[in-house]
Amino acid sequence: MTSTSDLISDRPVLPVQLLRRLADVVAVIRSVPVSVYLAAAIIMLYILAAVTPELLQSHAPFRTDLRATLQPPSFAHLLGTDQSGRDLYSRVVEGTRQSLAIGLGATALSTTLALILGVSAGLAGRVVDGVISRLLEVLFAFPNLFLGLLLIAVFEATTTTLIFAVGVGTAPGYARMVRGQFLAVKGAGYVEAARALGHPYWRIVLRHIFPNAMRPLVAMITLGFGQSIVWASSLAFLGLGVAPPSPEWGALLDAGRQFVTRAWWLEVMPGLAIIVFALSVTVIGRHLQQRLEGRVRVL
Amino acid sequence: MMSLSSNRAEPSPGYGRRSISAGLFAAAALCSIITPAAAAEDDKRGGIIRYGHYQEPPCLYAGWVQAGYIQRQYADNLVARTHDGQIVPWLATDWSISEDNLTYVFKIKPGVTFHDGTVLDAKAIVTNFERWLSNDPDKVNRNGKLYIGEYIRSVTAPEPLTLKIELARPYQPFLTVLSTYFFGILSPTALERGPKELCEHPVGSGPFAVETWNHGQNVILKRNPNYNSAPATAKHQGPAYVDGIVWKFLKDSTVRYGSLVAGESDAIYDIPAVDWADAQKRFKVIQDITGGTPTRLQLNTARPPFDDVRVRRAFAYVAERRKAVEVSFQGSIPFNANGALSISTPEHLKDLADSYPYDPDRANRLLDDAGWTARSRDGIRTKDGKRLTVRLLYAGGSLITPDGVSVLQILQDQARSAGFDIVLKPIPQADWFAGKGRGIDDYEAQPAYWVASSAEILKISWRPDQNGVINANNASRFQPPELWTLIEEADRTFDDKVRLRLYEDAQRVIVDNAAVVGLFPLTVSIASQPKLKDIWISSRVSEPVFHDAYFEK
Repeated sequence: MTSTSDLISDRPVLPVQLLRRLADVVAVIRSVPVSVYLAAAIIMLYILAAVTPELLQSHAPFRTDLRATLQPPSFAHLLGTDQSGRDLYSRVVEGTRQSLAIGLGATALSTTLALILGVSAGLAGRVVDGVISRLLEVLFAFPNLFLGLLLIAVFEATTTTLIFAVGVGTAPGYARMVRGQFLAVKGAGYVEAARALGHPYWRIVLRHIFPNAMRPLVAMITLGFGQSIVWASSLAFLGLGVAPPSPEWGALLDAGRQFVTRAWWLEVMPGLAIIVFALSVTVIGRHLQQRLEGRVRVL
Repeated sequence: MMSLSSNRAEPSPGYGRRSISAGLFAAAALCSIITPAAAAEDDKRGGIIRYGHYQEPPCLYAGWVQAGYIQRQYADNLVARTHDGQIVPWLATDWSISEDNLTYVFKIKPGVTFHDGTVLDAKAIVTNFERWLSNDPDKVNRNGKLYIGEYIRSVTAPEPLTLKIELARPYQPFLTVLSTYFFGILSPTALERGPKELCEHPVGSGPFAVETWNHGQNVILKRNPNYNSAPATAKHQGPAYVDGIVWKFLKDSTVRYGSLVAGESDAIYDIPAVDWADAQKRFKVIQDITGGTPTRLQLNTARPPFDDVRVRRAFAYVAERRKAVEVSFQGSIPFNANGALSISTPEHLKDLADSYPYDPDRANRLLDDAGWTARSRDGIRTKDGKRLTVRLLYAGGSLITPDGVSVLQILQDQARSAGFDIVLKPIPQADWFAGKGRGIDDYEAQPAYWVASSAEILKISWRPDQNGVINANNASRFQPPELWTLIEEADRTFDDKVRLRLYEDAQRVIVDNAAVVGLFPLTVSIASQPKLKDIWISSRVSEPVFHDAYFEK
């Protein structure tokens, strides 16, 4: 493996070495399946939609047109129009920012909670582990979205509530995985060795346990991001999402529900937007997982 | 004291007649006995109606009209009201009114019992009145008290089947009001069981008895085999033809209509706009436009920006309300421009049927005149640094259906072009009825309706705050003394023409001041399988009636 310092050193590099390095890079690039590149490109497109939606929109997303209601997909309206004549494509694009923000926020929250609970349980001894494990078991007794629904019932349904609902609702699952990882790594041979060599505990945790335990979690968090968006959309679909006329994807699905037999595009198109994004994130996540687990050669 | 038999002379559409004689009632009852052939009647017997409704009320008694629809099945009223406004017998077979319009004496139908076996006599009705008007929050019928509380001097039972009501001052809509679901008579024995039991398991004398309420699913109503007190408006006397009703709550409109298509429901309520045309072809569809107030935007006149009439008018002009209603409801519900009264209310003033047409130029001029001349970067008008924001609270999914929400979203978009920033804030059903988040400083606009037979609703909507008590039903907070004077005078005027003029003047005051902006009336539409016959809707409060319904063999 080559370090960055080698590349920028003043030492003259022989053409043969340069070629070898180039061959290495090409090999790695070739080792990444096309599907991952495709997924990355799609995610870039979504990010672009989230950052500058107006670049991609064909119409103003909130502009109603009472003379063009419930139009099927056409050149004028790529994904058709809704009951108020709003362009569905432009609304899906507009909703990207909010949907991704909810997914990102919820994943960040659930990861933070999971780390606090999981690391404490994994490292702080049997008593703390026992308490946290029982707590997680209690939380597991409820359906995944129960906590989320509870939060929404108590607080107003806003983007922030939705982030909390999904974040808190999915945290117990991650927490248990984090705990498992830390426990497994804690008992690994290299940690034993470091301990035998007399390294201080904090150093062992920071240098050995944390990086090794977190590696598989990176992939899991990536997968969780896509899942969070699906959860948030599910809540919004149940009418528990952000207020209209927000084009958040789940809210679009909810609004289109009553037209499912007459205007299929109102359900299918926002649904596709969610599926394509979630799939793309999953492809990247799975690939990361394989690499981090060493099943694919890492650069 | 004059006899009322002589008072039923010429029909006067829209105005409650004082009486109808016992003769008509007796004739109707007799006809049902001798014709048609008993065999034909037998053919109609049997079956259970699986009825898919929309909203589940929080209580099966009084309150919201959604409870009223069920109450119409299990309870009887003192009097009934025909589609054209005549008051006809129900539990009262005859009645008389004193010359000064203060004393009402009713003859009660003999031999009627409640579902629990308690005798329905004048004393039982007195008990009901006492509870309606009670000061005990566990007993009072709040909506009932709102209508008649201030008028009742005494209610007595001088004889077992004679009910005497004395009023403190004349109230013309008295009998009309008594014909609505708020005033269904319940068993005194069951009333004593407390408010929770009353909500869960009310006991009346109607054609069906409440057997079970499976919350979130359905109410099971069972046929009352001893029913003998149908109103004169019924198509037949005697017990219902069917064995019962499964009153299902199917909130999702796709599921509700789908259950009819799949044959899992025999009839459904509130046909979704998107399926309206299809339902006309495949099923029997009946519809009634409910009286009272339409769904209209009540503009909070007590706070900026709607404390300025120019801004209120601008708001009324700013959107294509007619087109928005047509598009959102796809022709299933009409437009109701006059926000004071529903178009089906007999006193509805047609001159106001085109009030505030779409006129964005005029809206912009009015806003300029009102000083909202500056604009923020996002195009919203501002004045003294404040944005022209309208917080619009609505009971989404309950009072306001998804199609209704579509109308609000169209208004939101169109108003934006004139510089209004409308913030839509849905309120869950339970919070809405608890008044949560609806304090007088929490909103600039609220859409809502109130069901009533005629213009007696104006009293409920526009009563000013009195003795420090805020009238929460006057969400517009609009209370000029001249409006209340007109309404009070109308309510005590027995001359139909004069009363009509007073109600019309009241509507002009309301609409000219743009205290409300009309959208669409509440309608009750029922689609049923072709084999299910004779469901009808009791106008103008639009209660579905299943007493006469039967399955064609």
